[in-house]
Amino acid sequence: MNRKEIQIPNFLKKAFSGRNAVISIPYIWLLLLFLLPFIFVLKISLAEPILAIPPYTSFFKWGESWLPTIQGSLDSYLFLFSDSLYINAYLSSLKIAIISTILTLIIGYAIAYSVAKAPTRWRGILLMLVILPFWTSFLIRVYAWIGILKTEGLLNLALISIGIIDKPLTIMNTDLAVYIGIVYSYLPFMILPLYANLEKMDMSLLEAAADLGCRPFKTFWTVTIPLSLPGILAGCFLVFIPVMGEFVIPDLLGGTNTLMIGKVLWTEFFYNRDWPVASAVAIILLALLVVPIMLYQRAQEKAIS
Amino acid sequence: MSENTPVSPWLDSTQKPYIQIENVTKKFGDFTAIDNLTLDIYKNEFFSLLGPSGCGKTTLLRMLAGFEKITDGKILLDGEDISEIPPHLRPINMMFQSYALFPHMTVEKNIAFGLKQDKMPENLINQRVEEMLELVELTDFAKRKPNQLSGGQSQRVALARSLAKRPKLLLLDEPLGALDKRLREQTQFELMDIQEKLKVTFVIVTHDQEEAMTVSSRIGVMDSGNLIQVATPAEIYEAPINKDVADFIGDVNLFKGIYKGQNEIGTQLLSDDSNSIVYATQKVDVAIGNQLWFALRPEKLEISKRLPKNEHNILKGTIEDIAYGGSFSTYHVKLENSTILKAIRANRERTKEHHLTWGDEVFLQWAPHSAVVLLS
Repeated sequence: MNRKEIQIPNFLKKAFSGRNAVISIPYIWLLLLFLLPFIFVLKISLAEPILAIPPYTSFFKWGESWLPTIQGSLDSYLFLFSDSLYINAYLSSLKIAIISTILTLIIGYAIAYSVAKAPTRWRGILLMLVILPFWTSFLIRVYAWIGILKTEGLLNLALISIGIIDKPLTIMNTDLAVYIGIVYSYLPFMILPLYANLEKMDMSLLEAAADLGCRPFKTFWTVTIPLSLPGILAGCFLVFIPVMGEFVIPDLLGGTNTLMIGKVLWTEFFYNRDWPVASAVAIILLALLVVPIMLYQRAQEKAIS
Repeated sequence: MSENTPVSPWLDSTQKPYIQIENVTKKFGDFTAIDNLTLDIYKNEFFSLLGPSGCGKTTLLRMLAGFEKITDGKILLDGEDISEIPPHLRPINMMFQSYALFPHMTVEKNIAFGLKQDKMPENLINQRVEEMLELVELTDFAKRKPNQLSGGQSQRVALARSLAKRPKLLLLDEPLGALDKRLREQTQFELMDIQEKLKVTFVIVTHDQEEAMTVSSRIGVMDSGNLIQVATPAEIYEAPINKDVADFIGDVNLFKGIYKGQNEIGTQLLSDDSNSIVYATQKVDVAIGNQLWFALRPEKLEISKRLPKNEHNILKGTIEDIAYGGSFSTYHVKLENSTILKAIRANRERTKEHHLTWGDEVFLQWAPHSAVVLLS
């Protein structure tokens, strides 16, 4: 029984304890897949475009001295502000994101509410139907909308055949088509957090409100809505943030007039091959989105406390 | 009690009932929750609906509040048929079992909620809220949110909120169920005080028979959608109408046997348990040879080691178990045919001399007028 144990220093034991190892996984994940790429993009945004591979100047220049000299410029950022195209694209994205978030909220709330109020045995099936579209590729579903919305598409054919219109409507390649596409695609992201919230809401609160003389409609505004605020916020941010940078839907369904920053970014990157400007566009978009994300964080903290 | 309300309005045929539940039936699909129930409740009563879970007491309460539609029959409040009036228009408030306080509103906003719906002027609302907070002694907690309150405080906020509108009728659904025993007992007395102070008619649902006994003017014992007995707590306890009620309210010893007729002592029963004749003063109107039950409360059984002087109602047994309850002890006495009877004796002596202990041979004896004769 004279087994010698290998002595491990205490701080190492602590650092590699199972607990810390588990906790560190998300940090490592974020570091490798979020922070590191972000630093690359930031670095590229400060470089200048050149005709080379990769098509930008290097950030660090190794000279005679031990330390490299930093070669950065804010030209790309200044360029964004000098051309109204970019500002307009940001504003237009913001407008589209806000309007489509509101539309998604209204439709999503109605759906989430009716699912949450449905008999228990139906809820699972109804929720399944909400998630079902995810089983088909997002791209295919957006393409399918082209078939529905185009001039000789399903919608126009149906409307003409039942005699509501006699000339086909122009929906395809307009902002309306973009809204339809966005609302359709992002609806589940709104419904799921709202449902999770509404489903666990204490129904006796609604009865208490009625008992105290509150009409059903007013109860909805004074009790249901305030109590579902965490769900509303979660759903809105889950829709708003990705829609801000949305590229596929405006590209496929929108027209040349539909200006969205995601499309501009794509053009800069693949068409103009101006990586620094494309990166600057991305960095500013991120900066703009940090504001709502922080607001969301604060709302969540408030909800927890 | 106000001057114009007699102490027992239900005994006075000139009194008009305040709430009239007339032949009410409630069905959920095929299931009949309330079966053709009729009940009158009088003004300023503290009426308890008591029964095991699933007996329909909560359904009846929810029909009074308007949350459940009546399948058949009608409910009148102060002479007015309220059966079709939606809950938000009824002059009835309810205190929910879960309290159902609005978590996003402070205590004072919760209490003011009902008053705001009535478009009461702001200054009157504030005044009433203050009044209610004083009533439930929560003035210092006005700005708290429900999640910052203890169970007892939440219970009082719920009570204040349901009373703020001065309802004609207050419904209480297991109002003290979530409180611990000590707080519950204290709150029972508070409830009674408040009820007397505000002169509101209370209908309370409970499964706790002690609570019902303490607070009620009358108790309605329910089982499977029917009212079995409606009476004062003392009547329910001392004169239950059948063995289910006797068994549900308090502890009881039931003797099953065959009716052997009357003699000068009273009703004779050939008890299955002791195989001897036992007596009760109460008379019955059934044929000799019918099956009967005697119900005897444990505190009415005298237990002693010496043979009592009386000649009847004496049973012999051995102490099987003792539950020491401080002020009294409950003895489980096993008869020769192994039936177990419960007897309660007050612990008057501090010393051990007169104590009964496990395995002691004892005699049980009762006065004929202590037993209740039950036909079913």
